[in-house]
Amino acid sequence: MLENFYLVYAIVGFFSLGAIFGLFSRGKPQHVYLTYIPSIIGSFLAIILSIVVFTSEDIHITLSSQQIFNFEIFIDGVASFFILIIGLISFAVSIYSLSYSKKFDDKKNNSNLGMLFNLFIISMMLVVASNNIFFFLIFWELMSLTSFFLVIYEHDNENNLKSGLTYLVMTHLGTAFILASFLFMYAQSGSFSFDSFRDAGIIPDYVRDIAFILAFIGFGTKAGVVPLHIWLPQAHPSAPSHVSALMSAVMLKIAIYGIVRYLFDFNSIDGSSHYLWWGLGVVVIGSISALVGILYALVERDIKRILAFSSIENIGIILIGLGLSVVFASFNLTSLSVLAFVASMFHTLNHAIFKGLLFMTAGSIHYSTHTKNIEDLGGLIKKMPWTGLMFLIGTIAIIGLPPLNGFISEWLILQSLLSVFQIPSTILQVSLAFASLALALTIGLAAATFVRLFGISFLSKSRTLKAANAVEVPRFMLAGKAILASSCIVLGILPFIGINLIATAFNLSYTPLNPFEPLSIITEDGKSFASLMMPTVLIILLSSFVSIFVLVKIIGSKTSVKKYNTWDCGFGGLSERTQYTATSLAEPLSRIFAVFYKPKNEIINYFYSDQNQYLKKSIEMSHTTRNIFDEFYDLTLSFSLYILNKIRKIQTGKINAYILYIMIALLSLLFAMGAGIIE
Amino acid sequence: MNEFSITEPLFGIFQVLLLVVLSPLIVGIMRKTKAKSQKRVGAPIIQPYFDILKLVKKEEVVSDQSSWIFRCNPWVNFVATVSAAFFIPVSIVYSPFGVMGDILLVIGLFGLGKFFTILAGLDVSSSFGGLGSSREIMFSTLVEPALLITIFVIAIFYGGTNISTIVASANDISFLASPGVIFALIAFFIILMVETGKLPFDNPSTHLELTMIHEATVLEYSGKSLALIEWSQSIKQIILLTLFVNIFIPWGISNNFSLTEISFGIVLIIVKIISLGILIALIETRIAKWRLFRVPDLIAISIASSMIGVIFFFI
Repeated sequence: MLENFYLVYAIVGFFSLGAIFGLFSRGKPQHVYLTYIPSIIGSFLAIILSIVVFTSEDIHITLSSQQIFNFEIFIDGVASFFILIIGLISFAVSIYSLSYSKKFDDKKNNSNLGMLFNLFIISMMLVVASNNIFFFLIFWELMSLTSFFLVIYEHDNENNLKSGLTYLVMTHLGTAFILASFLFMYAQSGSFSFDSFRDAGIIPDYVRDIAFILAFIGFGTKAGVVPLHIWLPQAHPSAPSHVSALMSAVMLKIAIYGIVRYLFDFNSIDGSSHYLWWGLGVVVIGSISALVGILYALVERDIKRILAFSSIENIGIILIGLGLSVVFASFNLTSLSVLAFVASMFHTLNHAIFKGLLFMTAGSIHYSTHTKNIEDLGGLIKKMPWTGLMFLIGTIAIIGLPPLNGFISEWLILQSLLSVFQIPSTILQVSLAFASLALALTIGLAAATFVRLFGISFLSKSRTLKAANAVEVPRFMLAGKAILASSCIVLGILPFIGINLIATAFNLSYTPLNPFEPLSIITEDGKSFASLMMPTVLIILLSSFVSIFVLVKIIGSKTSVKKYNTWDCGFGGLSERTQYTATSLAEPLSRIFAVFYKPKNEIINYFYSDQNQYLKKSIEMSHTTRNIFDEFYDLTLSFSLYILNKIRKIQTGKINAYILYIMIALLSLLFAMGAGIIE
Repeated sequence: MNEFSITEPLFGIFQVLLLVVLSPLIVGIMRKTKAKSQKRVGAPIIQPYFDILKLVKKEEVVSDQSSWIFRCNPWVNFVATVSAAFFIPVSIVYSPFGVMGDILLVIGLFGLGKFFTILAGLDVSSSFGGLGSSREIMFSTLVEPALLITIFVIAIFYGGTNISTIVASANDISFLASPGVIFALIAFFIILMVETGKLPFDNPSTHLELTMIHEATVLEYSGKSLALIEWSQSIKQIILLTLFVNIFIPWGISNNFSLTEISFGIVLIIVKIISLGILIALIETRIAKWRLFRVPDLIAISIASSMIGVIFFFI
């Protein structure tokens, strides 16, 4: 028990060490080792810490005995699951950063970046570990602020400042809602400690409803739930890539952590139909987020923006699972509730892994080519073969194809959606069927998005010199990616590892699986609904490969392989300008989903002379799509500016006027008390 | 059951081999049917076998623009399709490998093949490949919801996504369980036509590249690779036909593991698949290819039809 304390202190210590080195070392190239090696060790210890908690008992540390400023650390299974995610991703990202941060060597003080990086990771871990409103909010704010500074790290680019500002506003809006929600709970429970919230008896239902809605808005803002997602596609791409990897893969999960705590820890939803609408609301919002997120990812051209929009989609999928779990639980369908919950948490883990991997790859592409626009890339698989392979693994994982990890969690989520027929309510069944329609469309669109991303940036000819001159990235960057890529494969082929982990972490009534035991779903009358056994699937795949290889060798004669030009219909002159672009690839879909994009084609003709409008010199065609949510927020912004401009008129600057305002305020207070409105 | 512990998996492998070997024959029969109904003589029905044998022995020309993705696509496609065949029941109501995978896995494996095909189309840097990939992406995105909702209908009516469960309970019921299943049948039939590249969606037999979808993505293949591509395409077709037959018209399929019943089951399934293939070929000769942007309407019909199926289950 005692050594667990030291583990917590050691983690905090290592990250602080990294931060201090970052603060005081003055940006020499070799100083990156001083800042990132402590974070590598710290993250590794975090992984060990979470495993220790899984296998032994919870850690409860209380420092100082004062009532409010009672610093409480409570690491139970839930917290340690999220600490595992933070630890695993930041371990890989820190290794990656050893080389990646060289990119900023000549720019400015590189060490500051390291300091913020360390602070960011440790603040996320402490948010998860806090067991007290006060410290939760302090670390939450620290997390938000360090990530804000990281977003505007490259502040010589005006766009980054703008997106940083949007992020700052939105994240504080979210914090305000979380604070309000906590205060509601505090007003009833009378204690700042989360332990008092867990006490089901104290807090009446309507307060729980209000507190949950507030908390969902607050955490939803951080998670990027539509329509509060507006900051996410701006902020994630603006940050340096190793930070975007952390923000997208890990920080969003901290918001999920908050929602999980509220749903399953502060409230006991089992068998109570009161919470049904919570679950339904979460499913609906999740479906909308998933669909909207992936729709906008499809037409983007900036790699990191595509990945950021896809994070919105994945958060939506996670929320669908969580919501379903609540819905099932409120009908007392415990095993289905557990299934949906496992699916959702497995997807949380998987998304952290493959999104971290994909953002690191995006960083590698930017590192070698200095561009993030996929229209400028192409042919990278020949220049950066290892990065290409890992990107391919990440792509297959994220679009949920067998045999990688994304398939397992999407399979579980689909199975829990298919199980809605066991709910004893017809209206709910039909409406949840619509949720599965949205999810199915999302999965299809996700495939299109990532096929486009991989195909355009890595395959065919290089479209610009930038891509043609790309070289493979340094080995630390490859090592960081390789850790996550291999996790994708391991969790895909041996899903029992992830499922057993989740079952122990959340203390679920899920029987532990053996490697060769299929994942199986049993209906309420005990029949097998579905089952899946990945190791044998792999064996079947491999053995059919071997047999067809042998067969082709036997029946085929020894033939040569000749390299020749791509067939060009005999016209000649196939060049990088005649190949398909990212825009043209997604054009049919953008036409079908025109409601969301409002696509516009613009054709400008250039003539040899204005008098003769028959001979065209050149034609310029552009295809633009719009984001209806941006337009909505622009409208809101201009409306509030208009209103505020009107209100500003009361600021006359004359002292008499202000005294008048005070008098009016006092008088109305007096009247209110007289009428008994306030006491 | 002990004495069957080895024979059952062996029989499962035999069924897979049967599908793999028979698949070019179905292609040949469908082509012959089309030729006959168009008053042509047509190639002999075993022509696809000659094609594959010839291609395997031919020299291969590979685009100098392509990468290893292009080279490994035929293998991935073939392996994924053949593996999918392991999980479906053919002549007996359950598949010996049924515990290991369900219909979602079969779709996932097809998806893996499609994913690599689309990438291969982009890899050769010709505009035809890109064009084919773009259209294939559009179709597969739209078919995905139709397919999943159809599975939804089938799964809730027959009690599982495990194909063995589905076929077993479909076989128990003397007629299609409910109108809902008929709507699922309509939806699945449309999906079958899309996935196997049939008119009015795609016409692989033309040689005008602009009208092709699947063929455009694999235009650059030759030799062994082309043989594998064509073969895996025909295996995918026979798997989908088998699924269709066994889910919607399973009667006569063998219920237990006895020699007579199984041999009867095998003969029956072959007859059923061939008749369904002839039916599809006849339908194909009666309709023209649709304009690309009208095709989504047809897929929307499929989605709507399967949604009606869902609602039928609940009311």
